[in-house]
Amino acid sequence: MTISDFGYLSLLFGLISSFIVFFFSVLNIKKDLFNLEKKIYKFLTLQFFFVIISFFILLYSFLISDFSNETVYSNSHTTKPIFYKISGLWGNHEGSLLLWLLVLTSFILFFFFSSKNEPKNFRHYTVIFHQIIVIGFFIFVLKTSNPFDILFPIPSEGLGLNPILQDPALAIHPPILYVGYVGTSIIFASALAAMVTGYVNNLWAKNLKKWVLISWTFLTGGILLGSIWAYYELGWGGFWFWDPVENISLMPWLSLTALLHCISTLEKRDLLKNWSIILSIVTFMLSVTGTFLVRSGILNSVHTFANDPSRGIYILIFLFVIIFISLVIFFIFESKNIENKKEIFFLSKETSVLINNWFMIYFLSVVLIGTIYPIFLDVITSEKISVGPPFYNKLLIPFLVPFFLFMSVGPSMNWIKTNITYKRSYVFYFLFTTGATIITVYFLSQKNLLIIILIFSLVLLSIKTSANFLKKNTNHGQNLSHLGFAMLMLSILFNSVSSTEIIKNIKVGDSFISKNEKITFKKVKTEEKKNYSSVIGVFEIKNDNDRIIKLNPEIRVYNQPVIATSEAAIKTTLFKDRFMTINLIKDEQLFNVRYQNKPFMIWIWISTMIIIIGGTFAIFNKKKNFN
Amino acid sequence: MIKKKFIILVFLFINIFGNCYSENKPYSKLENEIAKNLRCLICQGQSIYDSNSEFALSMRVYIKDQINNGYSESQIYNMLVKKYGQWIVYDPGYSKKTFLLWFIPILFFLLGGAIIYLRIYKSKKI
Repeated sequence: MTISDFGYLSLLFGLISSFIVFFFSVLNIKKDLFNLEKKIYKFLTLQFFFVIISFFILLYSFLISDFSNETVYSNSHTTKPIFYKISGLWGNHEGSLLLWLLVLTSFILFFFFSSKNEPKNFRHYTVIFHQIIVIGFFIFVLKTSNPFDILFPIPSEGLGLNPILQDPALAIHPPILYVGYVGTSIIFASALAAMVTGYVNNLWAKNLKKWVLISWTFLTGGILLGSIWAYYELGWGGFWFWDPVENISLMPWLSLTALLHCISTLEKRDLLKNWSIILSIVTFMLSVTGTFLVRSGILNSVHTFANDPSRGIYILIFLFVIIFISLVIFFIFESKNIENKKEIFFLSKETSVLINNWFMIYFLSVVLIGTIYPIFLDVITSEKISVGPPFYNKLLIPFLVPFFLFMSVGPSMNWIKTNITYKRSYVFYFLFTTGATIITVYFLSQKNLLIIILIFSLVLLSIKTSANFLKKNTNHGQNLSHLGFAMLMLSILFNSVSSTEIIKNIKVGDSFISKNEKITFKKVKTEEKKNYSSVIGVFEIKNDNDRIIKLNPEIRVYNQPVIATSEAAIKTTLFKDRFMTINLIKDEQLFNVRYQNKPFMIWIWISTMIIIIGGTFAIFNKKKNFN
Repeated sequence: MIKKKFIILVFLFINIFGNCYSENKPYSKLENEIAKNLRCLICQGQSIYDSNSEFALSMRVYIKDQINNGYSESQIYNMLVKKYGQWIVYDPGYSKKTFLLWFIPILFFLLGGAIIYLRIYKSKKI
């Protein structure tokens, strides 16, 4: 028996524990045997424990570079720094699924532990529905993606990790993103359980909100890390490309955002029951669909690293089973959770939430249709089309204006009914926003009407949201996230309208002018590192007041596997990023240099951090009764 | 220096830049704009603008030539679509095939608006 066999066996035992948990939970609902609860606890812990053991065995194999394990052989190398040996574990399909399982089993344990005050049957049904997912994933791992496959004879060296994945941001990106994705499985199981037990009410909403916030915050963090990575690693200076894999992380984010708003309404007003359930189910579906689309290799994307059609089919079947179960439960138990149609006044927080959901679902439908339409068209008519940034810009940007305007007034509404009386502050807001917009437009020298309107609505959103901080009894988590969102949109807008770039082929010693800066190509040097060697260009940038900035873009040739990457040189200041990449040209004297000025780049990251801080604040905030 | 030569050789061997494209002028704004809207057909989800592959570079030369020949942006797109198919442009455009692509999201928006309107309007009557 090798250590890898133990890893596999441990997963098998994990699967068996899941069946036992499932069985006991069903039994406990029927017969109401109190001591079974303790057994469920035990086996949930055991199941988690077994997954942890396999996880650590795989980790150990990566650390000691045990190439008898195929996953390690395919994704690691002895010369790799220890940090990337660890991240190599989830930088591939098999290992990343083991991480999925780890998060999945730890979450259900945590749920069972933290939900003691909730109705017994609800908890047990949640465990049952969740175990269906857990068992599905266990079988998926064991049957199609075993991370413990053994190689014989044992290779003396591994194949190495794709160098563009050897990066600190990307190393922690999968775990963060997975917490977000997997959190939605609890939301899903809990929604079905609440349906079955007739527990779809404000209590349920209050408890579920915590899980929604956790998933949402982590998903935001995961997307942020992915974007940062794309920005400095993929080497074109962009951070979002409407690439299918990016879209796939955005879709659950949009529906989670909708759910987060919707669940507050259910919590405060006992409204929107069915809609909350539908959103909970849809969010989880989108997470699984995402895994399906990425892992099946259907998508053509920069981020597709490993795929295999048979896995795609398995996930597809799994998806259909889950959808089928959800539909059946929804229609059978819908009558158990009838809500009395309370009156909704037009000027109320309820309406604001509905409008938020309206736009979120619209944005979601744009991203969803844009991502899957080309696939269906290809299958049906075998014609390939590309749906890229122009499509998203046309369908999203015009709708952002009303969205921002609604968002600036929505949080100030009261539950049930808001009485609008004329206030002097409205005049102030209007004048201030107009003034600030005129100044901004002047500085950006913008003539595009749509952009001017966007700036106006964003400035209004920013100051209205900032003003909310001063109110009594206000929700600071929400204020922070909303403010972060407004700042994010402003930064992206400024960044996209005033970025400049210059692409040139030059020799060592040459210089060129970009705006008011003179860029000189000083020299080329070479460097040897443990896992790569590199050619580094030394550039000096001199601006008007004779300050010299040095930029050193790199070309790296990794040894295992042999892949060349272009490392951008980035100098970040508060107001702009200077971004430079070089590339070799066959004519050895010349280098292809791409130099970009990217204003407010760092604010894109900072504002997303503020959104995340807002979410974290809301998770830990004990004071729950606002407004 | 031998080291450097070696790295460059390895680099050229495993990568890109097959053809001798060593134009000395920077790309114009229009050229970059067009390059951003075109897919690099031999790459995984990259645009001509993002890519340094041989294909992308020859496309760059093609774009430059066509601009010099006096063709407009949309004419260049049309020529490329004729040659390589709709796959090459990131803008799916409006046609019979893409009608649903544009229409479904708009339908979602209209339906959503209608549902919300009815919910608020109807609840008043009760």
